[in-house]
Amino acid sequence: MPLTENIGEATISSLAYIGGLARLTGESARAVFIEPFRGRKLRLSRAIHQAMIVGVEALPIVSLISFFVGTILALQGAYELRRLGALGLVATAVAVSMTRELGPLMTAIVVIGRSGSSFAAEIGTMKVNEEIDALETMAIEPVHFLVAPKFLAMILMMPCLTTWADFMGVLGGGLFGVTSAGFTWASYMRATLDALVLRDIYTGLIKSVMFGLVITAVGCLEGFSTGLGSEEVGASTTSAVVKSIFLVIIVDLVFTALFYFTAPH
Amino acid sequence: MIADSLTSSEATATFAGPAIIVRSLRVNYGDREILHGIDFEVQAGETLVILGGSGSGKSTLLRALIGLEQPKSGEIWIRGKNFAAMTEDERDDLRKKMGMSFQSGALFGSMSVGDNVALPLREHTRLDDSTIEIVVRLKLDQVGLSGFETYVPAQLSGGMKKRAAIARAMAMDPEILFFDEPSAGLDPIIAAGIDDLILKLKKAFRMTIVVVTHELASAFLIADRMILLDKGTIVANDTPQELRQSQQPRVRQFLDRVPEPELSEEMDYLQMLTGEIPPRRR
Amino acid sequence: METSTRQSGNATIVDVTGDITLYNTPRLRKVILDLLKEDRSPRVVVNLQRVNYIDSAGVASLVEGLKISRDLKSGFALYGLSRTVREVLELTRLTRVFELYDTEEEALRGASSSPASAH
Repeated sequence: MPLTENIGEATISSLAYIGGLARLTGESARAVFIEPFRGRKLRLSRAIHQAMIVGVEALPIVSLISFFVGTILALQGAYELRRLGALGLVATAVAVSMTRELGPLMTAIVVIGRSGSSFAAEIGTMKVNEEIDALETMAIEPVHFLVAPKFLAMILMMPCLTTWADFMGVLGGGLFGVTSAGFTWASYMRATLDALVLRDIYTGLIKSVMFGLVITAVGCLEGFSTGLGSEEVGASTTSAVVKSIFLVIIVDLVFTALFYFTAPH
Repeated sequence: MIADSLTSSEATATFAGPAIIVRSLRVNYGDREILHGIDFEVQAGETLVILGGSGSGKSTLLRALIGLEQPKSGEIWIRGKNFAAMTEDERDDLRKKMGMSFQSGALFGSMSVGDNVALPLREHTRLDDSTIEIVVRLKLDQVGLSGFETYVPAQLSGGMKKRAAIARAMAMDPEILFFDEPSAGLDPIIAAGIDDLILKLKKAFRMTIVVVTHELASAFLIADRMILLDKGTIVANDTPQELRQSQQPRVRQFLDRVPEPELSEEMDYLQMLTGEIPPRRR
Repeated sequence: METSTRQSGNATIVDVTGDITLYNTPRLRKVILDLLKEDRSPRVVVNLQRVNYIDSAGVASLVEGLKISRDLKSGFALYGLSRTVREVLELTRLTRVFELYDTEEEALRGASSSPASAH
């Protein structure tokens, strides 16, 4: 097959996939924002249940990872800054990199591993067991029932987790700052607060919400496209993780570029 | 006096006329046609049993009737409405009046048995939780699963799952109840209990019941009318008495449990084994 | 479904007209529970003569009424069951749980020693 044809086919299937993600997101948005006004129940308790799993239960691992990433950032930053005699800037380096980039990204990676994969597995298993069919025959729209609460939970929990990850990262950087760069905890925190502007925080949080949307849409879409047979569930799960990581990086790139070019000079 | 505010889903007036009408129904899986033009009617309050061997298309027919398979052509009318021409809301209203018991049970694995049965009531009605709890216990009692509300499906045997699924299908007291192989894989006493339940539901609630099965004893016990499907076409549509006396070869073969005739010629067999002729399409 | 209540001696009669279904039974439930809990009616009698159909949710509401009446040591009885309503109660094995009567007089007296027989 000629190369152009291959590229064309790949482009079309990628666009179709993105269309699928958009449809799922749109249908869920309808369930959350429009259906309640048509007398349908908004399944808040299901969303809260999801939020516990997606958010609260992820706290320990998010804390640990972002703390270490903060320390690593400080070590890597200090390596260069020391040569310039600017070791004092290590707090700034950690604070800005964490809030703008690594806080949201590390959180997304953890959430993909924990929740994106489990969304695909949950929905895939339900598909294989005819549970999705059962929902339909009960006049319960599967996307509204299963996916919408997950979106809602993600949109709420991703910024929270990310904020927490930012804070833990700063603490991790502080560990280096206090032990090896002549800071006290108080002066390190003050340096961090001085370094950060509001824009650093909210660009990070906007990213985290976008990541949450991507992770939910991909996880659920992979679940729904599970074929027959329980071995297919494993394939969907793997595919959900790989595609989510890829798409999160793409979205990260797009938004980082967007924020860069729209930044006030 | 408190007057009723009737919404469309609240209207309970039973529909006059056939509960289900199927006209020239054809259903495909991919390129393969499974049902080759099926016609029949189910009267309200009637129990129809769809018989057929494996691969006869009976499960596909059932899935088409509940709207899980899109027909390639033909029409399915339920309570006087064409399934294909319905709006989303009309279809939902209709589905609230239908219950389906899947062969595998299709219970929600993440919920307890009680929550499974309660789900349609919680989703579609404004019943108080205490009322729903009682309905759930009533339904579980009817299928012999009293006291299993808090169990999750994984803790149940296959037969118990199937019975819990029947309880869930009955939760809304549907007008039309569909069963896919209700007694397959159950021990004979439990299976007899399910047959008995189907008869009682028909009597007490005037339900229209469609059962897909290959269990002959159960079929003859519960059916008002029987359809025998073979390779995607209807070979018989009779009362149980008529079917029993039928002299049609396919009917006799099914009822007398005669195995499929073997390939007649040794050469055919050889050719089939070596792939020179494709295996017969069933 | 419509409900209305009237007093007869110390008993309150709830006249129900129409089908009792899972969509309207919460109102019947409220009427019955209010009579028992709020008004402290010593005996609640539900007239089902003009009820042609009752579903499981309706039955469940009546069961709740019976339960509350037992808790409060008040009386709770049903009368005038149509054949279909009786069949539903039989299916749910409740004919011997409820106090069932054929006529209003018997239900009010609560005296008829044997539960009502089918008509």
